[in-house]
Amino acid sequence: MAGLLHPISGLDHVVAMVAVGLWGAVLGPPALWLLPVAFPMVMALGGGLGLLGVPIPGVEIGIALSGMVLGLMVLLEIRAPLMVAAALVAVFALFHGYAHGTELPAGGNPLLYSLAFVIATGSLHLLGILLGETRRWPGGRRFVQAAGASVALVGLWFLLRALR
Amino acid sequence: MNPHPTLIGPAPLGSSLGWPVAWPLVWPLAHLVPTGLGPWGDGIAQLVLQPTPLLLVVGLVLLAAQGGAASCDRLPLLIPGAWLLGGLLGLGLGAELLQALACTALVTVIGLLTALGVRLGPRAFLVLGAGTLIPVALVAGSALAGHPGALAALLGQVVAIAVLTALLVPPLSPPQPRWRAVGLRVVGSWITAAGLLMLAWLARHPQ
Repeated sequence: MAGLLHPISGLDHVVAMVAVGLWGAVLGPPALWLLPVAFPMVMALGGGLGLLGVPIPGVEIGIALSGMVLGLMVLLEIRAPLMVAAALVAVFALFHGYAHGTELPAGGNPLLYSLAFVIATGSLHLLGILLGETRRWPGGRRFVQAAGASVALVGLWFLLRALR
Repeated sequence: MNPHPTLIGPAPLGSSLGWPVAWPLVWPLAHLVPTGLGPWGDGIAQLVLQPTPLLLVVGLVLLAAQGGAASCDRLPLLIPGAWLLGGLLGLGLGAELLQALACTALVTVIGLLTALGVRLGPRAFLVLGAGTLIPVALVAGSALAGHPGALAALLGQVVAIAVLTALLVPPLSPPQPRWRAVGLRVVGSWITAAGLLMLAWLARHPQ
């Protein structure tokens, strides 16, 4: 359970994960599935760095920026080229993974924990994709943009807090 | 000191070197949990509680499903057969070696190939499948060596893996709708991510 709960324990993480799915839905295929495929793998790399204690500066700022930037992408419906979108999401995934990696508990079954952790993250992406798919419905586009604005505001709040 | 006092059955390497030394090498595959169902049930329970081999089986089925029907057709024989062969080798040779890091790395590679959407021909898949299953089964088998009823436990594992393979192959076999093909890659990325985290975890907590 700890692995499942960990990714949803921080609002800054949750909104960024959902925003990845939202932006994927805005971009459409193949970004729709490429971003959720790339994110957990790079996040795990970051988690590994965190576990190993490799220093990465500005992690909290990076996490806050991820929410703000991804939220703006959704709000403004920015259709970045696939590689740019993947690279941006990958950089942010590194920060999120690093933060999670430094907080992973030493006890328990690490494989089950890791699996649960990754599945929870993927579920948040899926939630974002499902919310993003409401763009097909009347009013859905505005709803998704509002969701993007909310994510951006949460990101901004965490950014100001990190810079304080 | 045994870091998992509720579990029994350290591998022979663990017995000879002592848990503090052997634990980081063998523990992801090394424990037999008494289920009350005898060695057969203990072998199956080991797969559930220490699921590295199951991840490998799932990853291989996903990879085969991406490769085509010919690869899928061989899975019900390839996977249990390779597991039986590797497990018997492990029972005979005893523990050694590569162990957890190598096994986790193999699982990670299979997940990565799936996430990248790599399509392997039947022959290449056969080589890759056997080349990953046999070493992992060897390690798992070596962890069983020395336990009473080790062969029954191994056979329990083989049957459980055969059943799992038989359940997974039909719904995943080509032709697949597009959403399912995407799902395969997503699950592959999850297996890769879990494997990467495990590798770092093993490196971080050597004791």
